[in-house]
Amino acid sequence: MEQGGYNLRLYVAGQTPKSVAAIANLNRLCEKYLSGRYTIEVVDLMTNPALAQRDQIVAIPTLIRQLPEPLKRIIGDLSNAEKVLVGLDIQPN
Amino acid sequence: MSALPTDAEATSLPPNLAEETVEAIHKGRVDAIVVHGPGGPQIVMLQGADVPYRVLVERMSDGALILGPDRTILYANRRLGDLAGIGAENLIGMAFGSLFAAGEPLPTENAVTQARLRRHAGTLPVSVWMSPISMGGDAATLVTLTDLSVFVRVEQIAVAERFARSILEQATEAIIVLGPDGRTTHASWVAEQIAAHPPVGCSFSEAFPLDPQSSSHAKTLARFSRESLDVMLATKPFHGVEVKLRRPDLGGRSFLLSAGPLLNDVKESVGAIVTLTEITERKRAEEQQTMLVAELNHRVKNILAVVQAVASQTVRTSQSLAAFNVAFAGRIQALAIAHDILTRTRWIGIGLNELLTAVLAPYRGADGARVSLAGPPVLLPARAVVPLSMAFHELATNASKYGALSQPAGAVQLEWSVANSGLPRVEMIWSEAGGPTVEAGGKRSGFGTALIQRVIKDDLEGTVDLVFAPRGVRSVMSFPLHAIADFADLSGVSAQAS
Repeated sequence: MEQGGYNLRLYVAGQTPKSVAAIANLNRLCEKYLSGRYTIEVVDLMTNPALAQRDQIVAIPTLIRQLPEPLKRIIGDLSNAEKVLVGLDIQPN
Repeated sequence: MSALPTDAEATSLPPNLAEETVEAIHKGRVDAIVVHGPGGPQIVMLQGADVPYRVLVERMSDGALILGPDRTILYANRRLGDLAGIGAENLIGMAFGSLFAAGEPLPTENAVTQARLRRHAGTLPVSVWMSPISMGGDAATLVTLTDLSVFVRVEQIAVAERFARSILEQATEAIIVLGPDGRTTHASWVAEQIAAHPPVGCSFSEAFPLDPQSSSHAKTLARFSRESLDVMLATKPFHGVEVKLRRPDLGGRSFLLSAGPLLNDVKESVGAIVTLTEITERKRAEEQQTMLVAELNHRVKNILAVVQAVASQTVRTSQSLAAFNVAFAGRIQALAIAHDILTRTRWIGIGLNELLTAVLAPYRGADGARVSLAGPPVLLPARAVVPLSMAFHELATNASKYGALSQPAGAVQLEWSVANSGLPRVEMIWSEAGGPTVEAGGKRSGFGTALIQRVIKDDLEGTVDLVFAPRGVRSVMSFPLHAIADFADLSGVSAQAS
């Protein structure tokens, strides 16, 4: 991944509707606005709930922006693209 | 950092984590939460679990809210919005304390306290329950508020209900309260006693099957089928129809049926109040009064006819005006005595001995020895009183003028007996002795004799044998008791005659 890219971690709970929607929404937004400069790590807490402690996850789905700093979090299914872009400090082209 | 969006917020960790979480749950953007239990984090699915709870909380009759650690409102249900009068969405973010009236002590946790919720117009009494919870490691508080005005209102309704019930229980009339569907909702004690079935829940006609009291009311009732009578009673005023209840044991009792609308506090009809007032005694008194008036009318006519006949006959047989005066006054006096007795005995009748004592009193002397009376007790019906009074007045008057009682040593013996062979008959013997010698085949006052014959034969259906024996007049009279119509029969005849 090139310098200045986005390192994103999405916490989901198996195949719940909001989890599936969040994965789809995130992939679509990243491909459109961060093409080639992002990585997404999907963490399934159904498989390993203990991982929730790492980023103090309370509700699912939750997106964590690890890089660039500062760390940011978005709770929800990421369906409102505009607010997600603002939340992640991504300027639409 | 730019202004945080409200929809999907990004933030550095974690001061508003609980608030963000609650809002995300509230808006349905997440479908699972992480719960930190003793065995480490666990995933709790909200879909299928949270949805029913959310619906329940939104629809519950108590107000509910969640407070963040700084006591701001993170969530409020619809009912709390209604209670506060400003809408649940406007409560989010408000300070908890601002919900309550100024000066009110704030509710405390783990206790139920009473407070006054501020509203745009006045305040509302509420009880407040608060309990701390942990949400994602942050302190939060669950709060419910119960509208106490509902309980106050329920208590007021209960008091009004008890009041109405005590009236119904004490009422001496049958009072039936019908709902808008025509079914009985309340019934007084009396109503329950006269109902064909337990009335509550039944339509009026089921519980109180009716027969009309009279032909005119039959027409009124005939206009209604059972169903339409129920509708009529439940919807419109209905007054004063006399009815009988179709229950064999209540057959003789009459009731007055009335109904009026039952109005609520905005004057809308929400049913009807039906009363059945027992008028049996009133009817009986009215019937008796009608009967008595008819009887009186009949008797007055009879008396006037008798007086007229006595007057004309007395004139015809009197030698002078003075003689007329004496004879006429005596006969009217006999009539008056008879009517006194009838009035005193309420037209029921009198003992024969008592009648004779009254009629013959002027002739019997101080010790009663001049007219001796002897015979068994006989109860005379009312109709026999006037004829016998007139007959014995004539006999006594004749005796005092021309017979035994015209001489100091003369006396009359009056004896009677009752013959019970077959129909009871009274036989009476009037024997004069000690008077002037009577001419054989003699004839005294023509009218007196004729009157005796007429009243005994015509009025009492009896026989008279009047013998002018030389030692004194002897009269044998016999009449049946059964042939004399009793008071009730007379009343019927009178009512028809008049």
